[in-house]
Amino acid sequence: MFNLLRMDFYRIKRSKFIYVCFACILALIFLCYLMVWLMATPEGQDTAVKIGLLELSELEEGRSLLEGTDLLAMFRESAMDGGAYNLIFGIAVALLVCGDYQQGFMKNIMPLHRERWTYIGSKLMASAILNLLYLVASYAFTALMNLVFGGMVPWADLGGTLFYLGWAWVLTTGFAALIILLCVLSRSTTIGVLGAVLLGSGLIVTLLHGITSQFHLGGWVEYTIYYNLTYGPSAYASVGDLRAVAVGLAFLALYSAASVAAVRKRDI
Amino acid sequence: MAEEKEKLAVETLSLTKSYNGKAAVDHLDMQVRQGAIYGFIGRNGAGKSTTLKMLCGLAKPTEGEIRLFGKPAEDSYVARRLGCLIESTGLYPGMTARQNMMMKAKCMGLADEKSVDKALDATGLANVGNKKVRHFSMGMKQRLGIALALLGNPDLLILDEPINGLDPEGTREVRQLLSALSQEGKTLIVSSHILGELSKIATHYGIIKEGNLVEQIDRETLEGNCRDYFQIEVDDSKRALPLISEHAPQVQAEVMDDGRIRLYDLKDGAWLNHLLIENRIQVYSSGFHHMDLEEYFLNRMDNLAEDRKGGGEHV
Repeated sequence: MFNLLRMDFYRIKRSKFIYVCFACILALIFLCYLMVWLMATPEGQDTAVKIGLLELSELEEGRSLLEGTDLLAMFRESAMDGGAYNLIFGIAVALLVCGDYQQGFMKNIMPLHRERWTYIGSKLMASAILNLLYLVASYAFTALMNLVFGGMVPWADLGGTLFYLGWAWVLTTGFAALIILLCVLSRSTTIGVLGAVLLGSGLIVTLLHGITSQFHLGGWVEYTIYYNLTYGPSAYASVGDLRAVAVGLAFLALYSAASVAAVRKRDI
Repeated sequence: MAEEKEKLAVETLSLTKSYNGKAAVDHLDMQVRQGAIYGFIGRNGAGKSTTLKMLCGLAKPTEGEIRLFGKPAEDSYVARRLGCLIESTGLYPGMTARQNMMMKAKCMGLADEKSVDKALDATGLANVGNKKVRHFSMGMKQRLGIALALLGNPDLLILDEPINGLDPEGTREVRQLLSALSQEGKTLIVSSHILGELSKIATHYGIIKEGNLVEQIDRETLEGNCRDYFQIEVDDSKRALPLISEHAPQVQAEVMDDGRIRLYDLKDGAWLNHLLIENRIQVYSSGFHHMDLEEYFLNRMDNLAEDRKGGGEHV
């Protein structure tokens, strides 16, 4: 399995899509900071008024935007809550996994690794490590943007930040397992990417929640990856705050087992 | 018996693969000796690729057993002694040839990059190692596929249509490469539709039809079966045949669908021509021929079809 992981990282280092996806996350964070700077800081508001983005009557309202906001909240607002990160990270995972099928490289891998669970194991580990790198680098970029834009928000509590990044990592790795399952089942990059977009953005969850809520059956949404990523806690206060971790681990185990079963059952 | 089995690189026991209840490979018992170049022949859809896929671990048998070097195919050590090229070459087009090779080397856990250079060199791709695969011709991709199969110095190479898309020079180079690999003691299973090329290197043959291995034969026996014959084309074969039987009873005659007559065990053709002309039978063409692998294969297929037809009538 570790040989497969080495192979995955050899490819990750040389694949443009990994850098393009990461650049998209960074662009999102930059745009968010730019918008907040324009809306909420006196210098930015001057510019916003000049270019017609803000009315003078809206200035006061804009200044209140940053009240109670710290670096972690900015990070969550810009990339995480709402599923933008999952969407982009999901696309990267889909391209990573489906490429093996689409290009036929699986035919070079499988004769050597007859225990097919090792393939899923390596892809999960590669996704988890990539996820960690993306998350940490994105957060570091958020901090950098905060400095560039004149320290608009205060630093977040370190314990809370680590707690958040920890459970967000588990939850988004669970999402990666879902995308791996989709890729293994469909063997299609199009379906993998489409799945990442529809599931990562929360479109399907929101739609299904809307329908089931009509029948007062919408409680399940609290146990979805999308909901927990958007509404999960920013600091640990009670055991209930560990729900996001539990949901992430449960989905990780479920989707991984399903992927192993799928890859074992089907011929290459 | 045990010694005999040890010498087998590949042995399948009642190997079967079914799709939706229909057998693509039906209770196939194949034996490939170590060091042999095994030409695996069959028409399209006969079950060649499915069999080779099962040997490589890409498809799971519905039934039966595969033994590689006397051990179950699932054995991870045995899997490392195997190099495969099945159907089209699986390559990342955005990566260079060397990077594709490195990917497989990492996958195998090879630490030494020299093995990559050696395989590229052996397949004549050393100069284009840094070229992206998307700019490769079909033949170059095929060679890279062989180079990938050669990584890790495997003892058994399974190559499905390795000379597809190669130009005559490339075909000759691959043939020479396969011969050289065989001389190193490697076992090769090669499927190809280009039977003329296959016959230049193969030491053993397996003929598959409709999922059944109808014949396994070594080169010497095949050459024995591929007898020389004298072929004549006459205006009236109905008159010619009794005449030949009368004057040369030891000669075995066979009339082909197009009316040509094949005569086996005939030493001299001149007197026969003379005989036929003397008896006012016009001879359009005549000459000695050697049956090659292609003819043997086609004959075998036709005979099987006739056997089945005959069998069906009896039933």
